[in-house]
Amino acid sequence: MTQDILTRNNVRVSGRGTQPMLFAHGFGCDQNMWRYVAPAFEDDYRIVLFDYVGSGKSDLGAYDAKRYATLEGYARDLLDVVHALDLRDVVLVGHSVSSMVAVLAANQEPDRFDRLVLIGPSPRYVNDDPYVGGFERADIDGLLEMMDRNYIGWAGFLAPAIVKNPDRPELGEELTASFCSTDPVVARRFAEATFLSDNRADLPRVTVPALILQCSDDMVAPREVGEYVHREMPGSTLRVMAATGHCPHLSHPEETIERMREYLQPALAG
Amino acid sequence: MSGFEALQGRVLDPLLDHAPVGFVSFADDGAITAANATLAAMLGHAPGALEGRRLETILSLGARMFYQTHFFPMVRMHGRAEEVFLVLRAADGTNVNVLCNAARVERGGAWANDCVLMEVKERAKFENELLQARREADRMRMEVQEHSEELHAINEQLEQQAIELELQQQQLQEAAAEMESQAEQLQATNDALVERGVELERQRAAADEANRAKSAFLAVMSHELRTPLNAIGGYVQLMEMGIHGPVTEAQLEALSRVARSQKHLLRLINDVLELARIESGRVDFVLETVDVAVLMADVTPMVEPQMDAKSLAFAVSVPEGTAVYADREKVQQIVINLLSNALKFTPDGGRVAVDVTRRTGEPEMVLLSVEDSGIGILPEKQASVFEPFVQVDMSRTRRSEGSGLGLAISRDLARGMGGDLAVRSEEGKGSTFTLWLPAAQPDDAA
Repeated sequence: MTQDILTRNNVRVSGRGTQPMLFAHGFGCDQNMWRYVAPAFEDDYRIVLFDYVGSGKSDLGAYDAKRYATLEGYARDLLDVVHALDLRDVVLVGHSVSSMVAVLAANQEPDRFDRLVLIGPSPRYVNDDPYVGGFERADIDGLLEMMDRNYIGWAGFLAPAIVKNPDRPELGEELTASFCSTDPVVARRFAEATFLSDNRADLPRVTVPALILQCSDDMVAPREVGEYVHREMPGSTLRVMAATGHCPHLSHPEETIERMREYLQPALAG
Repeated sequence: MSGFEALQGRVLDPLLDHAPVGFVSFADDGAITAANATLAAMLGHAPGALEGRRLETILSLGARMFYQTHFFPMVRMHGRAEEVFLVLRAADGTNVNVLCNAARVERGGAWANDCVLMEVKERAKFENELLQARREADRMRMEVQEHSEELHAINEQLEQQAIELELQQQQLQEAAAEMESQAEQLQATNDALVERGVELERQRAAADEANRAKSAFLAVMSHELRTPLNAIGGYVQLMEMGIHGPVTEAQLEALSRVARSQKHLLRLINDVLELARIESGRVDFVLETVDVAVLMADVTPMVEPQMDAKSLAFAVSVPEGTAVYADREKVQQIVINLLSNALKFTPDGGRVAVDVTRRTGEPEMVLLSVEDSGIGILPEKQASVFEPFVQVDMSRTRRSEGSGLGLAISRDLARGMGGDLAVRSEEGKGSTFTLWLPAAQPDDAA
């Protein structure tokens, strides 16, 4: 069973530390997203990376449309990995939609987690007056439309693209091979589960301390949303980054690492 | 690099400004560092108005999400992207569909993401059709997937049922085979029974035929025998009367013996004839209400002289008004027969009694019993006294005159009238014959 989960979710373990740091990727990509951030913690933590079923190099045969129709299914994937490796005292890092997956997992088994790091969290993307999520339902449809159009003849996008990594050649070609390759139907379901979810009620129940990393100019998860999450989650810390956009771990990895270290340092000292 | 420096001051190559595609270069933080005039015009902006803006400001809301979730990570990590469909937002808020090729290049110590944007108009229509077909197919695929579990369960159920049905069918086949074998046995039994029925029918017919032949034979023979016997009787009388000349004492004695033998033989013949007639169903019963007391008054004088001759005590007891519904002559015949038997088998000085009663449990019958204090009948012989030609003791037969048919005839007659005849006896102490006859109903009175 353990081996099944590790294969199913393409789990990768590295690092020289003992406390586990589990990275959960967001919608659209896979664990490769963390390649600029995760290595920075290898000396102090046991790094665990994985792909949700339907993403990256996960076992697509294990995909169950019903299970992954809601974020609960993804939270179960995350907890499956935690159990398979019997992780305890986990620092859980979630990007975008995985912030909410992390919230769901932490609420189910709070004893397993030491800290949460939520990058660009949004409990609800669609506006719900007076709540401002930043999008209307029609905008979500626009995203789905764009995904559909790009998946039509997107061989270059979907097929393993063997390209030199101009940025960090040392990571080699293999890691880039399957990046962002996703079954269109699976991607569409994940998008719907992500952008049509409403996890506002789950925030006040979180007991694990959390760091909220909010980009200064994020059009997917606007600053008001980050502040809302901070307000609703007891014991959370909000850090507004100089970084702009929605993917600071891609666009501004150094600042992301620094903010995480600042937050986690006292935990390490203790 | 010098090219990067040039871009910084909006010193784009004039050739690029006049290219028939849009061009934009942006930094990792999303800031537009350069854009050509074609793109600005495409979006309704003045040349140079785009530099310094965030790239997301010229994207539709959907495209912003797509940019963050797909486009930027891909360009950032793959270093390039090709034919990416994006929906831009023009200055007037309208959407502009474009196809985008992007490449990530290092320029002047910083990373730049260069994009070429080609507006998509006509091909969007074909794509729409393609998309619609594809969505329909996907939707159906999802439906199939969602129902596959259900179908799987149903399939399993059906398979289970099929197995059960097969089992049941096997059982039914076995049962059918069993039943067929039973049916064959039954048919065989039936055939045997039919055969046996035919055989029985044949035997019955043969027996009936034999019985009829016997009765006919007896009737004819009796008639044939009676004629010469009557002739013998008549000539003996003529000779006794001396019609043919004087007769000596010795001759009279001989004639008397001849006459006795002739009478005995004639009675025997008559009895045989009567039994034959009864058994062949040729006896008619004239049923009427018969007053038993009157009947006994008629019979008593016929037997009294013989009772007296043997010094027998003879008593008759009939309740007033007791009546039977029967053939008067036949009843009289039976009673005389029973009294004759009592006379025959009761030693001198004995006792004979006739008792007529009715039983409370059997009100529709009248019981007439003839009791004697005679020699009696052994228990094992009592059942056979009613068989034709049987007398209990052959040695006694010689002493007691009779054909041995009297009781057989009497019982046949009693039964012919709806009654019966039975015996109860104790060896050495006497016998009691009881005649059952239907009691006369009030409306039987004629």
